[in-house]
Amino acid sequence: MLPAGLLTLSLALRAPGAASVTPGSLPITCSRMDRTIVAEVFYDATGDDTGREFVELFNPAEAPCSLAGLRLEAGDGAGPGRWTLRWTGTSADSIDGSGHFVIGGALVEPPPGATVALDLQNGPDAVRLVWPDGVIEVVGYGALVHAEYFCGEPAVDAPSGQSLARVPDRSNQGANALDFRAWPPSPGRENLSKRDAELIPGSLALDPEQPEPEQGARLSGRIANRGAAALGTGEITVLGVVASEPDAPPLFSHPIPVAIAAGESASFAAETGPLAAGKHTLRVRLSVAGDAAAANDLDSLRVRVGAGPLEVTEIQFHPGAGEGEWVEVRSRDPAPLDPAGFTLSDRGGARGVPAAGSGALAPESLAVFAQDRAALLARFAGIDPARVWEVKPWAALNNSNDSTGVADAVVLRESDGTPCERMSYSASGVPAGVPIEWRAGAWAPSRAALGTPLAPPLTLAPIATRFQMTPRRVRAGAGSARLMWSLPWERARVSIEVYDLAGRRVRRALPETPSAGRGECEWSVEGLSPGLYLATLLARAETGNQALRETAAFRVEGASP
Amino acid sequence: MSTRALRGRGARAARAAGAARRRVWARFPAAPAVRRLALAAPARLAALALLLLPARAAAQDFASPAPPAAVTPAVFLERGLPERSASPAVEALVTRWYEVPDLATRAVALAAGWRSVRAAAGISRTGEPELGWTTGALALGVAGRGAGGALRAAARRDGAPGALEAALGPGAGLEAGGGVWVEAGAGITLSASAPQIFTRGISPPLERGLEIGASWVMDDLSLRLTRVSARGGAGAAQHEAGLALSAGPLTVWLEARDLPARGALGLAARVGALTVAGAVESHPVLGETVRLSLVLARPHAGP
Repeated sequence: MLPAGLLTLSLALRAPGAASVTPGSLPITCSRMDRTIVAEVFYDATGDDTGREFVELFNPAEAPCSLAGLRLEAGDGAGPGRWTLRWTGTSADSIDGSGHFVIGGALVEPPPGATVALDLQNGPDAVRLVWPDGVIEVVGYGALVHAEYFCGEPAVDAPSGQSLARVPDRSNQGANALDFRAWPPSPGRENLSKRDAELIPGSLALDPEQPEPEQGARLSGRIANRGAAALGTGEITVLGVVASEPDAPPLFSHPIPVAIAAGESASFAAETGPLAAGKHTLRVRLSVAGDAAAANDLDSLRVRVGAGPLEVTEIQFHPGAGEGEWVEVRSRDPAPLDPAGFTLSDRGGARGVPAAGSGALAPESLAVFAQDRAALLARFAGIDPARVWEVKPWAALNNSNDSTGVADAVVLRESDGTPCERMSYSASGVPAGVPIEWRAGAWAPSRAALGTPLAPPLTLAPIATRFQMTPRRVRAGAGSARLMWSLPWERARVSIEVYDLAGRRVRRALPETPSAGRGECEWSVEGLSPGLYLATLLARAETGNQALRETAAFRVEGASP
Repeated sequence: MSTRALRGRGARAARAAGAARRRVWARFPAAPAVRRLALAAPARLAALALLLLPARAAAQDFASPAPPAAVTPAVFLERGLPERSASPAVEALVTRWYEVPDLATRAVALAAGWRSVRAAAGISRTGEPELGWTTGALALGVAGRGAGGALRAAARRDGAPGALEAALGPGAGLEAGGGVWVEAGAGITLSASAPQIFTRGISPPLERGLEIGASWVMDDLSLRLTRVSARGGAGAAQHEAGLALSAGPLTVWLEARDLPARGALGLAARVGALTVAGAVESHPVLGETVRLSLVLARPHAGP
């Protein structure tokens, strides 16, 4: 490591551990280990930054250091010379040997040594310490172009929720990029303690996401070793409790069966044991002997065991009449329920918030979450507008299946993030423009061409035969017919193929699709040349080996001039 | 051994084989090629002429259950390929399509000839009133020893009261086409049929493209290969192969077709001028199609 020092050259110069000077500007230095240095800058908190930003100073010397007259300035990297004062040390401000001093907002925990609204900008920007004797230390981050805003090379621009931290705390390699890295915020503490395990925030997940009551689930997460020393096998134990039952024995106690080297991370999975029905908060804690930071050992996960208060009953994922996508839900709650207290998202996770409906939802009542409320109401003029809620942002639902046979998922959560319902659907076998609906214990294409928002599924009249087509004479071009079946089983998988009189297969009217015993679908004969055809229903019971085949003849009418 | 001696041996062998063939074909309509090769008795010409020529791929109004290389009045009407024989014949037939209730065809066809002129006429009815139709068909052509050709036409009328309006009136349609066959020697006959060259009014129940066939007859065995193009060239062509074996008054045959792969088994029996034939085709998805026919043909009393 090269010694740091003040340079006053007239030409731009860059030296390890030293400084660069821009003609006509103040001399710029990197860190000096004989005085207090910048140890951590937290400028982009997750969400609103107000009151959460801080700059942490560290005294690498053994003796205390007075901060009187020390100025903390913020630099705007967009142009040269844009430094503004944020804080000036007084005679009362000092820092112990090997101690930390935090300058930050009122919401910083633990409370900072100096409470200041720093209003730091996200990169490319900089902060600097200006000592009364003229010595300056600059920490720049992001893609800076003006040399006055960094030492050696700018540090990375830390992502939201992470600090720009000097790791280790005494690092002094002559460039911000070498000394600083994105790091979990640790105000007032060492950035790199000897032993520090962290439960990585947001990594907890439950599988299944909504377990059945009294059934176990698998809780997984990730642990990082933020300390300087390796953590050995079994040294970390993950403990889980239900927040509402603090005195109950832990749901699980899971020793991590692998060693984690410094800077590395490892995943874990633990069985929770039976969970009671309802809404819970699972609190998960790491237990590590000698851990320097207890604050990053904790995380929690909101879980729902059993059915949530709202259920999905109909999904329009490929609207064909300009009504926009929509999802129909039904209240399971015995008390009136406000749909605005929920979010709706797809598999990707962008959560939309309902608005523009009104009033609470009575038990067993239906509501519709719509992509475009006005368009939906225009298409379905007779429905109750008070029960139609526009969701923003709307997560566009996929129309075609991925390699796993799933097109997308409709995910309902309570506004605090607690899962309510997740419905993964397949687009296979669903005619264009037709929603899918929950009917007779299964999902199936709606019996109504545009669906039945705010209404229960249509009830089908019995038919006289196992399989029939109406009408049996269809005009070539744009004609369509209704294919109807009535099977001797409650549930089945059905497909319908179309053959000409020579026995050649000319069309698959319905790919194999799960269906109730009584089912129907609309089918367009578009593209079929005039002639006599045979539509064959192939059905097999969902349970057992029973199968049947039924054929119905029909004519596609057309004429030569 | 001299060439003359070989010829002498060959002639004797041919006479012996001819005697055997006469025994086999004498009581069942056989292929003309076989007759030419093996039979001298002109009285059997008419019976032999019922075999050979067209296949039955994609028939709709006159779907006869004849062996793979045979021809009947219904086949003449359906494909426009004239019979070799000028003897009058009448055929009644029933087809039950793919086990579909109410989808059956009943038809009667007549054929006759004078010198080289050949003619046929027939009428058929398919299906119940809502879907069904009635067809009247005519065919007129010529046939000689080595070739033949004819034109055929079929007029249909739908049975449904609200049938589509068309150029020829509500529910009425017309199709016309023709076919030719030619003997290529060594028992091989080539044929081509385009039954729907012209259509007007209501479209036919089944679009039919060009059919090209080749048949080979040797003694009691006959083989037929057919390729049926999709009409207008849209779609894949269908292929068919048939193999028939005769023994006395009985003929049994097997057929195979693609799109999708399927097979048929047929049996025909002749008692005097009367031939009864039946065939069952098994479709992997649609099930079985059953064809039955009754042919009354006066044996030709030629030279």
